[in-house]
Amino acid sequence: MKARKVKGLDPQATVEANAQRIVSVRVGELVGLGDKALDPSDEKALHDTRIAAKRLRYVLEMHTPVFGEPAARAAKQARKLQDLLGEIHDCDELLPVIRRHVERMRTEDAATVRARAGGLANDLDPELLREAPHRAHYRGLEVLDVYTRTRREVLYARFLREWRRLEREDYKSSVEEVVGL
Amino acid sequence: MAKAREIEGFADAASFAEAASLAVETRTDELFSFAEGVLDTSDIERVHDMRVASRRLRAALEIFAPCFPKSLHRKVLREVKRLADDLGERRDRDVQIAELERLSGSLSAGDRAGIGDLIKALREEQESANLVLADALERIERDDLHNRLIALVEEARR
Repeated sequence: MKARKVKGLDPQATVEANAQRIVSVRVGELVGLGDKALDPSDEKALHDTRIAAKRLRYVLEMHTPVFGEPAARAAKQARKLQDLLGEIHDCDELLPVIRRHVERMRTEDAATVRARAGGLANDLDPELLREAPHRAHYRGLEVLDVYTRTRREVLYARFLREWRRLEREDYKSSVEEVVGL
Repeated sequence: MAKAREIEGFADAASFAEAASLAVETRTDELFSFAEGVLDTSDIERVHDMRVASRRLRAALEIFAPCFPKSLHRKVLREVKRLADDLGERRDRDVQIAELERLSGSLSAGDRAGIGDLIKALREEQESANLVLADALERIERDDLHNRLIALVEEARR
């Protein structure tokens, strides 16, 4: 996701003046994207929100020596959100890995059984299934798929609670206040 | 994960440009300090630390972008992003393998077999990602990324 452009930055102006502009854009970006991430199946919106949280976190961490402990606390909050969304993203990345692996096993098993049956077979002897190299591997991967999918649901519910809390506490205004806006 | 190094003098910087030079200089040193042993897959924290350092450097380059000459900044940022991506590809496999090993411990022997098979496949991908990372480390050395970052810092100080 391309970051929203920050206008009016001046290399010769103070760190505070420039940081205010950047933080204002980054926190607005996070809040805007987070509102779009309220659909659990929208992986892209969740991914973009994570990136926005990361950008805000880094700019706040960078400027903590200037704005003090409140900036560190606001950065910690953004990091917490980023980490949680990162865990959801890890589930979204792992699920296709599991499914591709299962599909590969199926293809290899089918090819092995087919080869054992021979080119002139009239039907397939079920005894040949004992020859499938991955026959004992499916159940563990099914369990893993269920675990990863369910964990994702649990983490997403946690994200919603966290997001609602940030809204209630008006995180955007508190971050702007930290940098003197 | 290694804590970010303090940027000395940042709070007292007279201008955004001066802060930019201090931040990029510190984050550059930090990145290259983590390069040693990063290809060792038996210690996955090393690649993690270097990846985090690459992201911090990238963030500094993006935050302070207006303080640097455009052309030089664009090229250097692109290379830092590419390095971060290569570190990320290795790290993603490290994380997945570690997660599967953790889960495996909670399962019955019968369920573990399939997961062990997947871990084996991921280890092969980890090795491939490590080869790409080895090339990336050679590339940044060959292209003198470290000194080009320092040249960028000098430009911001002018």
